[in-house]
Amino acid sequence: MFESLGWLPTFPLLGFLTLFLSGGGLPKKLVAVIGAGSIGLAFCAAVVVSLPIINGDAQVIIHDVYTWMAVGSFDVAFGLYLDGLSVVMILVITGVGFLIHLYSTGFMIDDPSYSRFFAIMNLFVAAMLVLVLADNLLLLYLGWEGVGLCSYLLIGFWYQDPANGYAARKAFVTTRVGDTSMAIGLFLIFSQLGSLDIQESMDLAQGEWAIGSGYAVAAALLLLGGAVGKSAQLPLQTWLPDAMAGPTPISALIHAATMVTAGVYLIARTHALFELAPNVQLLVALIGLATLLIAGFTAMTQHDIKRILAYSTISQIGYMFLGLGVGAWSASVFHLMTHAFFKALLFLAAGTVILSLHHEHDIFKMGGKWSQLPLAFASFLIGSLALAAFPFTSGYFSKDEILLAALEFEHYGFWLWLGGVTGAFFTGIYSFRLVFVVFFGESVDHHEAREVTGFSMAAPLLVLMVLAIAGGLIHVPTDSVFSAAGEHGEHTVSALIHAIMIAVPLFGIGISYLFYGSRTLSVSRLMASDLAQWLHRFWFTGWGFDGLYRRLFITPYLWLAAINRNDFVDGAAGLLVALSEAGNTLLVRSQSGSLRWYILSVVFGTVLLLTLGGVL
Amino acid sequence: MILLWILLILFFGGLLAWLSEWFDSRLPRWIALLSVAATLIPLVLLYLGYDADSESKWIVEFSRSWIPSLGIKFTFAVDGLSLLLVGLTSFLGLISIGAAWEEMRERVGFFYFNLLWTLVGVVGVFTAIDLFLFFFFWEVMLIPMYFIIAIWGHENKRYAATKFFLYTQFTGMLLLVSLLCLVYFFKIQHGYLSFAYEDLLRTEVGGALEIWLMLGFFIAFATKLPSVPFHSWLPDAHSQAPTAGSVLLAGVLLKTGAYGLIRFTLPFFPEASAQFAPVALTLAVISILYCAKVALAQSDIKRLIAYTSVSHMGFVLLGIYAWNLIGLQGAVMTMLAHGLSAAALFSLAGGLQGRLHTRDMRLMGGFWALAPRMAIVALFFSVAALGMPGLGNFVGEFLSLLGVFSVSIWAAALAALGMIVASVYSLWVMQAVFQGAQHSGADHSLLPDLDNRELFIYALMMIGLVVMGLFPNAFLDLSSGVLERLSSASDAFAAVGERR
Amino acid sequence: MEKEFATVPITPAVDLDSLLLLLPHELMGLAIIVGMLAVAIGRNHFVSTVISTTSMLAAGIAGTMQFYELTMGAAPSMVTALFVLDALSALFIALLAFSAMGVAIMSFAYFHKLEDARDEFQLLLSLATLGAITLVSSAHFITVVIGLEMLSMALYGMIAYPIHSGAWAAKSLESAIKYLVLSAVASATMLFGMALIYAATGSLGFLDISVSTGSLFYLGLLMLFVGAAFKLSLAPFHLWTPDVYQGGPLPAVAFLATLGKVAVAVFAIRLFSQPQIVQLPVVTSVIAFVAVASILVGNLLALRQTNLKRLLAYSSIAHMGYLLVAVLSVSAATAFSEVEDSAFALESALFYLLVYSLLSLGAFGCALLVSSSEDEAAGVGDYRGLFWRSPWLASVLLVMVLGLAGIPLTAGFIAKFQVFFAAVGDSQWGLLAAMVLGSAIGLFYYLRIVYQMLMPVLDTEESFALREIGIESLGVLGVLAVLTAVVLWAGVYPEPLFALIAFAASNF
Repeated sequence: MFESLGWLPTFPLLGFLTLFLSGGGLPKKLVAVIGAGSIGLAFCAAVVVSLPIINGDAQVIIHDVYTWMAVGSFDVAFGLYLDGLSVVMILVITGVGFLIHLYSTGFMIDDPSYSRFFAIMNLFVAAMLVLVLADNLLLLYLGWEGVGLCSYLLIGFWYQDPANGYAARKAFVTTRVGDTSMAIGLFLIFSQLGSLDIQESMDLAQGEWAIGSGYAVAAALLLLGGAVGKSAQLPLQTWLPDAMAGPTPISALIHAATMVTAGVYLIARTHALFELAPNVQLLVALIGLATLLIAGFTAMTQHDIKRILAYSTISQIGYMFLGLGVGAWSASVFHLMTHAFFKALLFLAAGTVILSLHHEHDIFKMGGKWSQLPLAFASFLIGSLALAAFPFTSGYFSKDEILLAALEFEHYGFWLWLGGVTGAFFTGIYSFRLVFVVFFGESVDHHEAREVTGFSMAAPLLVLMVLAIAGGLIHVPTDSVFSAAGEHGEHTVSALIHAIMIAVPLFGIGISYLFYGSRTLSVSRLMASDLAQWLHRFWFTGWGFDGLYRRLFITPYLWLAAINRNDFVDGAAGLLVALSEAGNTLLVRSQSGSLRWYILSVVFGTVLLLTLGGVL
Repeated sequence: MILLWILLILFFGGLLAWLSEWFDSRLPRWIALLSVAATLIPLVLLYLGYDADSESKWIVEFSRSWIPSLGIKFTFAVDGLSLLLVGLTSFLGLISIGAAWEEMRERVGFFYFNLLWTLVGVVGVFTAIDLFLFFFFWEVMLIPMYFIIAIWGHENKRYAATKFFLYTQFTGMLLLVSLLCLVYFFKIQHGYLSFAYEDLLRTEVGGALEIWLMLGFFIAFATKLPSVPFHSWLPDAHSQAPTAGSVLLAGVLLKTGAYGLIRFTLPFFPEASAQFAPVALTLAVISILYCAKVALAQSDIKRLIAYTSVSHMGFVLLGIYAWNLIGLQGAVMTMLAHGLSAAALFSLAGGLQGRLHTRDMRLMGGFWALAPRMAIVALFFSVAALGMPGLGNFVGEFLSLLGVFSVSIWAAALAALGMIVASVYSLWVMQAVFQGAQHSGADHSLLPDLDNRELFIYALMMIGLVVMGLFPNAFLDLSSGVLERLSSASDAFAAVGERR
Repeated sequence: MEKEFATVPITPAVDLDSLLLLLPHELMGLAIIVGMLAVAIGRNHFVSTVISTTSMLAAGIAGTMQFYELTMGAAPSMVTALFVLDALSALFIALLAFSAMGVAIMSFAYFHKLEDARDEFQLLLSLATLGAITLVSSAHFITVVIGLEMLSMALYGMIAYPIHSGAWAAKSLESAIKYLVLSAVASATMLFGMALIYAATGSLGFLDISVSTGSLFYLGLLMLFVGAAFKLSLAPFHLWTPDVYQGGPLPAVAFLATLGKVAVAVFAIRLFSQPQIVQLPVVTSVIAFVAVASILVGNLLALRQTNLKRLLAYSSIAHMGYLLVAVLSVSAATAFSEVEDSAFALESALFYLLVYSLLSLGAFGCALLVSSSEDEAAGVGDYRGLFWRSPWLASVLLVMVLGLAGIPLTAGFIAKFQVFFAAVGDSQWGLLAAMVLGSAIGLFYYLRIVYQMLMPVLDTEESFALREIGIESLGVLGVLAVLTAVVLWAGVYPEPLFALIAFAASNF
């Protein structure tokens, strides 16, 4: 019964509608069943529809639901399109999504707004599925905005605290900036190519636009704007760390596994366009590189367990962008998938830690927790290994491919590679800094921590552990999608390179062991110098982007709004009134009531008219 | 004749509602409701009568001699465009009655009388195609609205009502002068007086004078729309009017301005309008960005929504002066969608004021816990207002921008920034009113959630917006015929477009 | 148009048909005599009112009959060289007589409670009416002087009519004196003007005046215009208007504001709209100046006025300005020899005049209904909540005020529309700008009245609008009903009225 693509978004949507219309009236058990069940069904549907493509029986499945908008030459269908790329996406979204929903049924059990939570979660999954299944850019934009909305709602899920509301608005508006550039990109593509259908417009673009032609560059840049917004890359990365204000499962689903990778998906989806604009593609690579380094530095300085993970997410997506930039499309998508596994694992584990420690976020208030929180410890260990690309974990394979592809990139290849490797080094440091600080050493806090677990929360962790380790063996069926793009085949590089790439993360892990594990090296000594202090502050604030944007945009805008609160145009309109009232006061003087003056006026008037008549 | 029914039903319904107050003060609202609902019947008949590919310009036309000595006829006609707008009028008429249902306590009869007669005026404006008749309704429509604001308004109603009336009347006189000039030109060219739309379409003015006449029309309609710099009557009128009044103002009266531009200004003065288009587009962009900025600074929730209305109508102006099918359809769609969303937001604001007796957002906050239904409804419409795909407003704004993009990339790009600022203020309202901690100063324990009547009204509008967002062609197909004809009628735009 | 008068034989002696033609005038004269006799026999307010009203009614009917005959094809005729009885005069004789009747009925209600001589007012009223209809039917400067003086003399008495006690008595006297002195000055100017014209042309008949280009002639014309402008209270000769309006008893003011002005205006139009005169740049430039000045001054003065009578005074200044715009359009159109347009402009002028008189009569009627000789509803504030106390009366006042503001559904809109149209037709851009601006300002103070009526009633204040309307006011109610009906009817379906006016405009 699941053959039709239409089912995929339908299940979560139905889940959303039931929960929404019930208005929170349902018992929590039922809510859990609906909330998680709908995603489960969607997963089954996803598997069913994907099989033919995975088996290679089919390359694409297309399903036109109906004509959405038709105005003259502008005709957009509500059409779904499934190929290897979207197969990866839908499986990740529904699969990981289902696990996270399952986890949430336990995690959120004490929350009064249980039903609202699952309603929005389901809506999110529906929108995300539309995003990755859309066969035209406008429908993709629908999903794109939909996930943004859900992200906003879930970041601000605990609305009582204004800080959460602020974080939510920050996330929405920042991504909206990107979305707007993407919308303009859509206008450009339609007005130039006359179609928003992805495949069609891509073909047209390749046909009509020369490589590096202005339109291609402009369109690619505008779409890139949308991508960096959603995927929290430079210069729009600032919203993601604050987005951690939402419940942890949200961070796992939206801000690690799925939504933030939408940008990667968009670029991969429109790779034909980016290949027409090599400079923009290089820019993608550079953005990815810069982001992964900046985020890496920042991650090393954070205290909040979730912020560390957030920055690591930013940096990992940086890798994906790097991969896209060097044309390693499949590799990026591959990394997208593995990252979804281990980052979801890490976040869920972090959720367990936080919940078990009574909503403690500061890692330096934890310590020695491995015995108390064995499951979380195991998850963190495995997740961090994968994150740090420890050999033969999933992260290793995917990151490896990206780095090798970067190395083979003409001109700047080596530097890109070097940057990527440096990033891997930091990854090693900060991921295990987290592990060592939280789970080893002596316990700092004294309140008794009992690990919150139970099937609903344990099972997802276990599954994700497996995936985090073995996920690297999965082969992403994207060859047919990117075949045109001249995929990099087998990489032929020296053993030295391989050795370096294996060694660097280990080296990083070692360093962090010396600092946080064995304490043979002391952070405090390192932090002695002013320069170090300053650097630490600089990195801690995410390289001061927030402050910069506040000074550049927010404050001036609010100031402008404030000074013109009363809308000076209104005052200008009042001018006429003032004038006529002035005239009134002037003329009223003439109504003195004295007869002499009246007679005088008559005589004066007569003379005036006579002279007037005489003159003319 | 079927067209006349609508007017007559509303006309006599109004009188009846007024008189019925003597018998029972609960009677007027029922009479009003029934008579507005009754107008749906002829509307449906007209809708069924619509035939997309028929050669005739109008679905139905009704014409009688009126003042022959001045060449004035008593002519009504409706095509897809006016049908849509009349439909919107009836729908929002029902909504506004629903909004006033409990709020209106004193002088009920006279209130519903004015409400219905406002509708008469608006429907007349949308369906009159004799220009004298049009102007007649254009002016008459203001009087009952003036009464609604002046009698049932809030603390500063006198100022607001007078300002509203003066702005629209003054610019109305400019319209009159330009119209008379146009008629006079027609007389010179064709030897007889006529105010008929078709005739005046055949009038060539040309030269500098055409610019002036066009300006007369434009200013009158841009004031009603409103567009910067003619907008400053609107925030006062909205913040002072009773809820039902704001609903009608935002939902319907503003649309008459846009209708006038589409139906008259550009077809009558293609050349001048084409040359004027850059200015109009600039005004539109300014309206969008400037008013969004001003809105953010407001603490009076109704003022805030009022400014956002101006900002959204900027997209209408944008779409109109793109003067291609996509842009025009975008404008029409924005008119319809904004009609619903703004109406809903204003009645929400009215609901809050009715409960809290204040419009000051600084005294609000954290209402989500108290009134979750209200919060979710508000969320829905704020999200609609910030242009969420899948809802009507997005379709409208997207099409307008798309239409403009082919005319002026810069106008489109700048106007698109409106999507950002829109999200800023919309979410800010949600934060200030429903999220965050509850305000300590005022006691909000008495804030009751939406009752079923209100919820039903909002549900209607929500469904409406979703339908517009997902099945826009249900509406666009109606207006496509006439808009195609209009936008293709004058190739002046194309010509000048080339020159630009 | 005027040429046909050449064929009309000027009968040397008064014969029977010419007496018949002068029936309206005679009826009014009769009314005065009978009235005086009646007073001599015994004072009875009711009786004297009946006498005056019936005669006015009769005169009105007579005028209507004459108009009807003319439409049936009867030739317009002169009675001696002094009177002309064409469609124009017939129409306005009828109009004036009927309005006078309305005023008479109003004054009956107004003076009902006065314990003093009341009958004389009706006499003065009849006299003034006689003057007015003489003026509109005058073909000769002598007739003009006679009519004008009869009108003014009677008005002095009416304005000074001893209604008030104490300080107020002084008020009405003061305004009467002002009016007396000032209009004496105006009349003198006018006479001088006539003399000059006579000197220039050698004729006192002004129907087909032979233009001589001498400066004497121009001087005469201008002085005539000054006199007329004063009577029409056009800027800069308007200063007397508010004071006189404020001081005089309401019926007198109502008469002055409507009949007084209409009569003079008709004479002015008759004189100045003659093609050979209206094209003189001297005349047009002066008229244009006066028009613009009146529109702006009148509206600006009224802007913050809170005394209803003064407010109406100021608005009347502005309205006369609008009237001049129409007259000017005649000139411009004639200048471009666009006969059709000039005719249209003339019609619009006459129509405006007619509508204006109806509207202000109605407005004064409403004011009068809530006032009496003891205490007048002077302030706009006195009308607070009228709409809720007596909706019908308020609605009437509403119609009149909106009409004066030129809002649709009322004849006021049609009138203004026509003037606009005429001005546009002759591309009088400057005047149009003044009109637009003026009407915008005008709206402001008309709306103030409306708003006051809509305000909720303050039970604390003792307001005029609270007075219950007595039996003596039934007539007034009737008059108001008729006026409202006409105003609304002409506002929605003006065609028949247009036809009348068109005929009158084409036939003199």
